[in-house]
Amino acid sequence: MAVFRWGHSWPEFRDLEREVDRLLQTMNATFQGFRIGRLFPPINVYELDDEYLLTAEVPGVAAEDLELTVADGILTLKGCRENPQNVPEEAYRRRERATGYWERSIDLPERVEDDKLRAVLNNGVLVVHLPKAEAAIPRRVPIAVGNGSSDSGSARRIDVGAEHAPREERDAENGDGPSEAGQPPV
Amino acid sequence: MSDELIAGGADADGTLSRSPRYVFTPPIDIYETEDGLGLMADLPGVTPETLDLEVQDNKLTLYGRVAPYVPAEARLIHREYEIGDYLRSFILSEDVDHDRITARLSDGVLTVELPRSERSKPRKIRIETG
Repeated sequence: MAVFRWGHSWPEFRDLEREVDRLLQTMNATFQGFRIGRLFPPINVYELDDEYLLTAEVPGVAAEDLELTVADGILTLKGCRENPQNVPEEAYRRRERATGYWERSIDLPERVEDDKLRAVLNNGVLVVHLPKAEAAIPRRVPIAVGNGSSDSGSARRIDVGAEHAPREERDAENGDGPSEAGQPPV
Repeated sequence: MSDELIAGGADADGTLSRSPRYVFTPPIDIYETEDGLGLMADLPGVTPETLDLEVQDNKLTLYGRVAPYVPAEARLIHREYEIGDYLRSFILSEDVDHDRITARLSDGVLTVELPRSERSKPRKIRIETG
């Protein structure tokens, strides 16, 4: 349950109840609906070859006020941003920064190793590393090239040097061909 | 003035940038303190090295750059926020003592103390009996 107090320039919006976002799976469809309201914290997700990166802008949230939990494939980010200087309400002339408790839950896809997550908080940006499960990492499958003209018939890589010889042979054959065909009948 | 200079799109420091940079107006709080005014601004991703805070004449300008924190080869697959720079200026009242302005940046939040100058502090005026 997140209760936010927003300053005058922000539209009041109600508590962000626990929303389970099918983040990594049906991301675009899920989030379109939330675009109108402003979620806190805003989250980006990036993909690398061996991991996903979830980044969140959490300015003013100290590491000790931030809680990350993983259970049943759901990653929950919880935190709180208090007014650090205990400024009384009446002292504010302008108030645009949100304070209070917030919580967001994100469904992790099965292909993430949720026991190997790690998170780094730096300058108000949280970066959560979500390593892909072994099976999800794309593995390069070696492609064997069978050389039809090769006598051995064994698969091997064709390099420029190897390609050169057969072409000469072929050219030679081709050269013979027309001359044979072009020979006037005796 | 040639058009190329404008069309080329230069950053604030004059270097040409290939991709457009976003510039955001960061959310701020302004509050009264015992000593004057306080200002807080959310600048996630900005470090003390990439923040410029400047007072010129009566204008306080903050300009923060976000150093990339995601590898360049990472593919964005879901976006709720853009990464860019932060820019906002404020007109300071005459009451602010420019020389005593202090600032600190922690956890992506900038806090600026804007102390009132001595002469604008309330002074008790002694009333003499005539």
